[in-house]
Order: sequence, then C-alpha cells, then structure tokens
Amino acid sequence: MAQDDKIIEQIVDRYDADVGMLIPMMQDLQAECGYLPLEQLHSLAKQLSLPLSRLYAVATFYASFHLAPKGAHEVTLCVGTVCYLKGAPKISEAISREFHVETGGTTRDRLFTFQAVNCVGACAVAPVMIVDGKYYNGVTPASALEVLYGLGKNETSVEKDGET
Amino acid sequence: MPTVTIDGCKVTVKKDETILDAARKAGIWIPTLCYHPAVPSDASCRLCMVELDRGDWRQLVTSCNYPVRRDIVVYVSSERAEAARRGVMELLLARAPESGELKALAERMGVYETRYPNVTESQRNCILCGLCVSVCEQIIGKAAIGFAGRGVDRAVAAPFRQPSEDCIGCGACAAICPVGTIKIRIHADEQEVEISPFKSRAKLLVCEQCGALVASKQVSEQALTRSNLNSEEFRASLRLCPKCRRLQTAGQLGAATFYKK
Amino acid sequence: MTLLSNKRLSSIAELDAQRKELLSSRAPSTKSVYVCTGPGCAAKGSPKLYELFREAVSQANVDVEIRAKAVGCHGLCEYGPIVIIEPGDIFYQRVEEPDVAEIFRETVLGGRLVDRLLYEHPATGEKLDTVDKIPFYQVQQRVALAYNGLIDPTEITDYITEGGYSALAKVLSSMTAEEVVSEVEAAGLRGRGGGGFPTARKWRSCREAEGSPKYVICNGDEGDPGAFMDRAIMEGNPHSVIEGMLIGAYAIGSSDGYIYVRNEYPLSVERLKLAIEQAKELGLIGENILGSSFSFDIRINRGGGAFVCGESTALMASLEGRPGEPRAKYVHTVESGLWEKPTNLNNVETWTNVPAIINRGGEWFAGIGTEKSKGTKVFSLVGKVVNTGLVEVPMGITLRQIIDEIGGGIPDGKRFKAVQTGGPSGGCIPAEHLDARVDFDELTKLGSMMGSGGMIVMDEDTCMVRVAKYFTDFLQKESCGKCTPCREGLAQMLYILDRITDGEGQVGDVERLEGLAELMEGTALCALGKTAANPVISTIRYFRDEYDAHIKEKHCPAKECRGLFRYEIDADACKSCGICLQNCPAEAITGEKKVPYVIDQEKCTLCGTCWEKCPFAAVLKV
Repeated sequence: MAQDDKIIEQIVDRYDADVGMLIPMMQDLQAECGYLPLEQLHSLAKQLSLPLSRLYAVATFYASFHLAPKGAHEVTLCVGTVCYLKGAPKISEAISREFHVETGGTTRDRLFTFQAVNCVGACAVAPVMIVDGKYYNGVTPASALEVLYGLGKNETSVEKDGET
Repeated sequence: MPTVTIDGCKVTVKKDETILDAARKAGIWIPTLCYHPAVPSDASCRLCMVELDRGDWRQLVTSCNYPVRRDIVVYVSSERAEAARRGVMELLLARAPESGELKALAERMGVYETRYPNVTESQRNCILCGLCVSVCEQIIGKAAIGFAGRGVDRAVAAPFRQPSEDCIGCGACAAICPVGTIKIRIHADEQEVEISPFKSRAKLLVCEQCGALVASKQVSEQALTRSNLNSEEFRASLRLCPKCRRLQTAGQLGAATFYKK
Repeated sequence: MTLLSNKRLSSIAELDAQRKELLSSRAPSTKSVYVCTGPGCAAKGSPKLYELFREAVSQANVDVEIRAKAVGCHGLCEYGPIVIIEPGDIFYQRVEEPDVAEIFRETVLGGRLVDRLLYEHPATGEKLDTVDKIPFYQVQQRVALAYNGLIDPTEITDYITEGGYSALAKVLSSMTAEEVVSEVEAAGLRGRGGGGFPTARKWRSCREAEGSPKYVICNGDEGDPGAFMDRAIMEGNPHSVIEGMLIGAYAIGSSDGYIYVRNEYPLSVERLKLAIEQAKELGLIGENILGSSFSFDIRINRGGGAFVCGESTALMASLEGRPGEPRAKYVHTVESGLWEKPTNLNNVETWTNVPAIINRGGEWFAGIGTEKSKGTKVFSLVGKVVNTGLVEVPMGITLRQIIDEIGGGIPDGKRFKAVQTGGPSGGCIPAEHLDARVDFDELTKLGSMMGSGGMIVMDEDTCMVRVAKYFTDFLQKESCGKCTPCREGLAQMLYILDRITDGEGQVGDVERLEGLAELMEGTALCALGKTAANPVISTIRYFRDEYDAHIKEKHCPAKECRGLFRYEIDADACKSCGICLQNCPAEAITGEKKVPYVIDQEKCTLCGTCWEKCPFAAVLKV
C-alpha cells in the first residue's frame, strides 16, 4: 500500500498536481496498474483535493478507462465506418463466438481484452485489428482468429522463458 | 437597462439577467425542470425553449441561460417554440413514465401523452437534469454524487455505485429533485437516514429530551461550521429536536424580554 | 540533430545561419530514399523497410552520400508501402522486404529502374516512373501536406532545412500582431475542423477579449470515423502545427498552448512530444523566442476516448480534468473558454496552413479555391474506391474529380451510389450531385458538410438505411448524454431504424424520423446533437425509395439487411460441385450431381455461408 501511494505521488508530481491534467494522470495510473483500482483513485482524489465522484465521472465517461483488470493481451478491432463496410461486424461476431467474449470484455482465462473502437485512422487498409499495438490489416474472420489463437501459444512459450 | 419583448409584452431587466427572469417578471410562464435559482443553470433539459428574433430568422434558445444584453424580441407561445417544448417533454415522458411530478408538469403544458415508447432507462424515473449533482457539489460542498457513464447509459450515482462516504444525509438532493425520484427514507429502528436510490446512509442524532430523530451528525456539524455559531449554547440546542428547540428558544426569548423590561 | 549544436538560437540571424549551414552541408550528389511511414504504409510494415534501407546505407561502400528517411504519409495508401528515390522522384509501390536489396542495388546505386515495382496506369497499363506522372497526384495541390513525405518528422533540422520556422521569424521580426491577423484574413482561411468559421475573425475576437491569460489550443481529437488527415499531419510534419500555433499565439497575445490529441493516436503524441522537445532546445518554444519578447509554451494532452471532445467546449472541459460535456453558453469561447479565460481553438489542418500563408502571403492562398472557400482541403478518401488514401485538393474541385480522377473510380465494376462527407454529422451525397463543387457552402446546401474531411465512397451494394443506422448508432454511443434531445432523440431514432432494417418498419416511420430530426436540430445543446440527424435526413432526402422498400415491401434493395432478401442458386451458373451443400449449417440445400442445386427457403437461415463459399458465384442474393 505504501508503494501504491508512492506511485500516486510520482504521478501527481509529474504534472505539478495540476487538476487540469487529471486525465493524463489517470492514464498514467492505468498504464501502471492495467486498470483503475478503487483504492488508488481514492488516494489520487485525496492528493488533488478532488471529490471521488469527479474521478468516477471521468473514469466512466471516457472509453479508454477501465475499472476492472484487463487480459494479458489487448485486442482492438476497428469498427469505424470503413472497417464496418468492409466486414468488421463479421470479424467481431467470429471473435465473440470463438472466445466467448463480448466487446469491452475480457476472456475468462484473461488471455485478452477485446475492444471495439471507432476508427483508428488506418481506413486505407481496412478492416484493421490491433493486437498489443501491432496492426493487422485487411483482416478476415479467419485471419483474425488465427492471430488470436497464436496469442495463446505465445503465452505458454513466454511463460516457459520466464521460468528458465 | 435592456428591454425584452415577450409575446408583445415589454419588460425591462438588468443586463445579463436571463430571458426566463424577464418572463417571470412579466408573469409569463415558461416550463422548467433543470433550472433552480440556487445553482447556476446547466441548460441540460432543454424544456424552456423559446424563439429569439434574429431579424431575418428566428432561433430557438433556452430561456434559463440566455443572457439579455440588449433589447430583444422573444416568442414564448409561437408555434415553433411550443412544438419544441412539447417534443422535449414527450421525450422525457417516454424516459420517466412513472413520475407523477413530470406528468403534472406535462399536463400543465397541455401534453397528455407521448408519441414515443420507453427505450431508455439508465435509472428509474430519473430525467438526468443534474440538479441533485449541482446542489450536492455547489451548495452542500460534498459532491457525494455525480454523473457516471455517458450517453443513454448516463446516470446519477455515488462513486462505484456504492454508498458514498461523503454523503452527510442532508437530503438536499431529494428536496431539489423536480420529478420526485430521490427520496429520503428514515430507518427508525436503526436511527439512520437513507438517501434513495444512492443507498447512502447516515446516523441520526436523537433528541435528548423526547427521543425524536433529528438530523444526522454530519449535517449538524456542517450547520455548525457554516453558521459560525461554534458556541456551547448552540451545540446544546442541536441536541434537541426542532419542537423542543423551539420551546427552549421561546423560553430564552421570554427571559430576555422580561429582563429588558 | 547531428549538424546542430543543440544550442539555443537567440536571434533570427542565428536561425538563418543554421539553415544556411544545413543547406550547404547537403551535397548536390546526395541520394535519398524516402520510406513512407504514414498510417497506411506503417500498417503494411514500412518501418521494417526503413530499417532495411538504413542497414543497406550503412553497409554500402560508396563515395556519394546516401540518406534513408522515414517520412510522413504520401497519400496513395492503397498502393503502400511507398518508397521514393531521389534524385529522379522515382515512385515505387507495394514494396516488400525482399525488394529492398534490389531497389538499393539497381536504383540507388545503379540509377536503373525496377520495372515491376513501378505504378501501372490502370487504363493504359503503362508503367509510370515518377510521382508527377501518376494520375492520383495530378489533380492534387499540396499546401498542408507540402512537406509530408519529404521531411523526417523526428528531425527538426529537416523542417528547418526546408524553410521551417522562417514564417515565425518573419512574424517576430517584421509584423505586428494585427498585421498577422490581417494576412490570415486576406488569405480567407476558414476553420478546417468542421464549422468553417473564418480563422482571422476568431483570432481577432480572442485578441480583443478581456482577461488573461489567453489560451491557444490545437484540436487534434480527430474522431470522425474514416478520417485520418490530422493524424497524417501530426505524425508527418508536427513542426508545421507547432509553428502555426506560435504564429497564432503571437497574433492573439497568448503564452499558453495546448495540443489535445485523440487517445487512439499514440504515435501522434510521441511525434509531437519529440517535436516540442526539439523546438524547446533550440529556443523556438519557451521564453523570449529567438531573442524577442514573445514567449510561448505548449503542453500535450491525450484525450480519454470520447468523440464529443472534438466539440470545442467539451474539449475544454476535458482539459480542465472533467468529463467532456459541452457547455451550454451563449458566450463564445474566445471570450470565456478554458478556465473561463479567452481561448482560441483551431484544428490541426488549420494551424498547418498558417506558416505557408505567412511565407507566401494571404493573396497567394486566396488565389486558390472558390470565392468563399479559399485554399486547399485534405480529404481521406476511403471506402469503395480504387485509390484509397489521403488527398489534398484545391477547394472548388468537383466530387467527381476526386472520386474518379484521383480515386480511380469504384472497384470491381460496381456502380457508385453515394459519398459520405463531413463525418458522422455529415450526409450522403448521391450520384446526381457528383458535379457539385467541394466547398463549405456547397456541401451544406446538399445536406452534408465539409466536416474535417472524411470522404467515404459507397457502391451499389451499400444499404443506405443501414448507413444511416450505423451513424446513428455511432452518435448514440458517443453522445455525452447531457441534454434531452440528443440523448433521448438518438435512442428513439435508432429504435425506429432498427425496426426498419429488421423488416418491421411501419408506415409513418420516415415521418417519425423526420420529426425527431427537426426537434434535435432545434433544441439540442451542442453541435453534435444539432447535426446528429444529418445522416438520417440526407439518406431520406436522396434514398427515400430504399426506406420505402424496407418498410412497405420488406425488401432491402442493396441486399444487405438480413431477412429482407433471399439466397437463390442460379441454375445456369451452378456446376453442381456440392460445396454449398457441404457448408450449409441448416441443411437447406439439396441437389445431386449434374443437376443445379436448390435452396429450401423454409429451412434457410440466411446465414450467407453458401454465398461466401460458392466458387462460381452461382449463389445470388435476390
């Protein structure tokens, strides 16, 4: 807990405790923890002398904030107009069906969090799926699933590497 | 001082007073929901629309926050203004069909039914006017509740939708709610007040003489700090219920009067 | 940054000297390899190509100087990754990793063309070797994107070499604030973010407004789906945005700037951060810029992921650390904006145009475009069009020129149906208006708008009711929910549109949609809500017959709405291969060898598997 408080302190210092930088602070906190834990929001509110309700309003208003832990990987499917026209809904359906995960949710084994976003600005190569920051373009339901099944495999090999 | 001509009726207001102020001065009724003189206007419900004459065209504006800076001509009962208010009211009726208060206001406007089905409800009977949020933050200074989510999922809630630690159980939110959605519930056996639907609870003080439930401890503390009457005498009076307090005050007044004489 | 001593430039003379030094150090024989790392090419793996070219350069043992550069978007994303070789302006398209060695050996070192990587003229089949011969570029005129694709966005020296920050120097040395505003006024520059408000008028109001400090904001919250103009500029030429802001701040009398970048654009944030750092090191941002009395600082804020923050008052609320809800005020933000102080907000493309206007004069800029819409406009041309990508055209060009001449028309021999401009709040323009000129007022007249420059082309297979539903759904999810008409009205509209595309539309639904649209336009709090019905209204205006077909005949003419069309097997085209039968999950297909197969409509669940699997396109949608 003491260490948690230190994280908050560092973040607050980074922005000179400027309330206007609340959103970047919360982004940093989320980058640190993977999501926005209640206790941390509490201490951030305290340090900035803001009511907790303000932080909660911000956390629930903006799509990029999460109040629950996320999966090991981040899978983002673009459902912007062009991707939509070029078949994003079918890809989304396929992922939901195969991995039993709704958009915005995380798979039960915490393998990945599946998000749908509005346009990532790569319309020229639609449909686009982003896995942990890597862009996959011209995706089809089959190719998307292939990439995601690959995640599971990598995961085990990473764990092995970690052990040795 | 600028003059506002409302439906042909002239009224003079101070600069930066609103069209609504002018209308009230002229005795012209404009329905409102999210407006309350105690807090700054948010103009979120859009019920108080009127038409503003812009010379070659007319613009629909919200009367509650449109500042009068020069002579203007406004139409409250024009066809377009009435249709706009009626339309907004119908959308609200579709959202909160069970509110008696809303229905009464609608009927006063001549709206007896809505064309729209009930397709949104993030919180039962709440029209999201935001008065409760404003009063809690700006008047009570607690911000125990706030908005959560956005769009159709927007709701008024305490953080994490759990009972708020900041709530003092004052009930200002319930008092200001224009549609009767927020309620004060007294749990007599537990000597607690609950603000519904936020589930926040606060312990109530008990009258030292008759045992009646008074306000919550936090409310009396707030009252103390705010009123700057931090004397032992005042503190003692807060341990009484309003009835006994009145009796005590009357007694003291009597003594003072007698002494003076 | 090798050539610069990283020393603060304390005067304009020092900046000029620096530029001269940079120019003279560049040998005329220098060869350059420009690798496009814009959004489209990067998604196709161009950063790896850049690494390979750099490796090749470092290993090449030759006398001439060779430079490999990662540059911003070139525009022709469809044919990416794009590599350009100088001298010669050689344009290579669809370059892959194995091609790098060949390009390096043949073209860079040998001066010979690699034929197979050249762009092929779609009509004549002729191989075109240079950029200016490619039809895609011929109608374009690049002002905002002039240096995109030329300079390395991570090197301030590149920008300075090409004349960067000379407009700032000019302003600081020889122009008063009013003269700067007048120059922008003479240019007739209007805001590129959507509304088209005259930029100079905004600057002047902000300068004259009472109160201090004054804030200058760059709106980089490019949220329109299908648009990536601002992303390409922020990532391809970040210094032009910064220089524009510096000039604007000087004219307005501001010393505090913010750039608000969309959450989904992490690379834009990175590039801008780096650019600001480099500019600070050289004293181009900070106290007493270039030895003058003008000081200006810029901070970057990353958005939290909310489309509504593109609206100026919502963006300001976000900068104050609050939910991005628009403010209901009849007082302009130039008087009372961020922290209730005078605030001037312009979008990325608007700021980028400013240095060019100062350098070349307002008159020059006003010479481009139409009477009321001056200069050029960047569009992202996407959807059902051959050449998807980023294009910059003079205002007043027709939609047909953009779609046919630059875009190369509709792929797969399909017919054009509509072009959607202006983002989610824009409208769909049908074929009969393709000869309309692209400018602010003309597009508004057609029931759409300029918006920030998304241009989505749709072909005959696109159901316009679904398009309306898509945008309504988008806006309903992105509405902040503050005001009644937007929050409730969009939900009601979506409810009706859902019903229509499900085949349960009722007579009168179109009129109900129109009624809601009128209500929202008149009563919503902010621009998002006021224009939210545009997609519905414009599709009703031009494609009423499609709505009627859905509602009255329970038929989707574009055959997109499931349940509102059937699958049938074309007996003449069917080769009786049996693939459809094997794949049908509902066992609705029957048939035997040498006899055309048949779909039992009673059993068919309309999943479309047979249609997808048939190798002979014998399954038809009817």
